[in-house]
Amino acid sequence: MNAGPLLDSIVAALAEAGLEAILIGNAAAAIHGAPVTTVDFDFMFRTTPVNLAKLKKFAAKMDAVILQPYYPISALYWVMNDGRDLRADFMPVVHGVKSFNSLQSRATRVELGGRQLWVADLADIIASKRAAGRPRDKAVLETLEKTLHEKGKQSAKT
Amino acid sequence: MKKASNRQKRKAALKVLRAESERAELDLIRRRLALPIEKRLNFLRVRLPGGGSRL
Repeated sequence: MNAGPLLDSIVAALAEAGLEAILIGNAAAAIHGAPVTTVDFDFMFRTTPVNLAKLKKFAAKMDAVILQPYYPISALYWVMNDGRDLRADFMPVVHGVKSFNSLQSRATRVELGGRQLWVADLADIIASKRAAGRPRDKAVLETLEKTLHEKGKQSAKT
Repeated sequence: MKKASNRQKRKAALKVLRAESERAELDLIRRRLALPIEKRLNFLRVRLPGGGSRL
């Protein structure tokens, strides 16, 4: 399914809510050109009280609900709207990523629907999947590494 | 001339298949990298009510 319209509305809602978040995971890898698929959008963000209020605003704009599936063990937030096939995961901690700032320092800004979206660097996505070590993460590692290698070759040419 | 055993034939066939699969994957990556970002967005799978997902 084309994620374009949904992603455009996510980017617009993030901007309207003023929530700073970085796209990571397979959705970000696909934007980098990796041939992978996903059912959700993973974002890293800072869990400050202000950001949590912005997350509520974002969910309201998406007509979505916020769930904390692993509370109190994990500070993972699911923003869901089944009617729109939306599931966006917001996490303050990502395996293999030192901090939000370090991830942002290497991330790129991608223009979608006239707005900017922070997309994590492919090397960081690979590091997070390697650190997570789940079978579904390991399954795509080789493909992501090949994509990173090909991207490196392309940028060396230009 | 010594005849190749079934095991050797299978090993050789698997080697060729693996090489072909890797070549096809690399080709897919190169084609995707050549596309602009707005054409790389066909990655979302939709969850199905009974479990599983579809593109």
